[in-house]
Amino acid sequence: MSHAGPGSDTQPAATRGAALATALAALDGLVELGETIEEEWTYVTALAEAGRSRLRAAAGADPATPLDPDRGAAVAAACAEAARIGDPHRAIDWLSMLPAIVELALGSPLAAPVAVPRAG
Amino acid sequence: MTAVRFQDAAKDARTVVYAGIQADPLVARLAGLALAADYPQRLMARAVMNGESVDPETWRAAFPTVLGPAAPGRERAEAILAASLEVARRGEQARSQYRGAFVEELTELLVRRRLGPAAEPAVRRERRVLFDGVAAEIHPYDLTVEIPGRAEAWDCKWGARGINADVLNQLDDARRHAADEAAALRVGLVVFDLRTSCAVRLAQQTAPRQGLAVVTLESLDALGGPKA
Repeated sequence: MSHAGPGSDTQPAATRGAALATALAALDGLVELGETIEEEWTYVTALAEAGRSRLRAAAGADPATPLDPDRGAAVAAACAEAARIGDPHRAIDWLSMLPAIVELALGSPLAAPVAVPRAG
Repeated sequence: MTAVRFQDAAKDARTVVYAGIQADPLVARLAGLALAADYPQRLMARAVMNGESVDPETWRAAFPTVLGPAAPGRERAEAILAASLEVARRGEQARSQYRGAFVEELTELLVRRRLGPAAEPAVRRERRVLFDGVAAEIHPYDLTVEIPGRAEAWDCKWGARGINADVLNQLDDARRHAADEAAALRVGLVVFDLRTSCAVRLAQQTAPRQGLAVVTLESLDALGGPKA
């Protein structure tokens, strides 16, 4: 059972702005599902905010910038997969991943190898 | 400097069942592929193992820079896709256990790569750390490095949601007890999830995390040292 939200629209985006809109809608669908796990509400909310920022940064400043069809199709496919998720726990996992997948699809600079960080 | 002491964890019914999954050749194959993979390939593996679709074309469409005709390392990426789909097809409960076993196996391979063949007997799984006058921890560590003066204890998690107060407190207790005994012990978490998600999760925890190493999807190679 999927939530089949707005992200289930698999039409490839023709611009970076349209790709961002598709990705943000898919993210919202995951948030809605993930928020049903009450004890994870705070985590879901913070993760969603971080995800939205990451998506906006990946899309770039000019929403009218044309997008290569393969990249538009990749964003659409990733968002369609996110829309298929029906389990709230898995939705939280996808909330974590979707911005990184869209980042990759849009050709944003990839995470460079980093040193093992220390928390705290 | 005192040496940290370790012991085997007692086996219960759950660990016996889980041992069967850990021994499944699929776990070793996937971990071996992920060891040599780059960040985009590992991200793809995570998505597939966590996805609904088991049609490879869905994933080729979503990851053209990883699985497309011009993608670097495409052969390996296709092998990762096939193995990840095998995990995804196992059903919800089994796939969860396979994912956990995969992260443990990958962690072991990375640590072995860093330490080299001479240290092979010192890299162990599911061991407890012993301290004088301190009750043994409830959960064994997923992976330990038992080299005097360079001991390590790692817990492995599929996702950032696995980071919780119990896990952080146990790792911190081990680090503090080792310091009390003037023993060197590096403690850390290996999380097969995004750095941002781990940072968000950690920010919401009040448990101590001083000196804790957190290895994420983006920093796995830092744990494993240079690739061959």
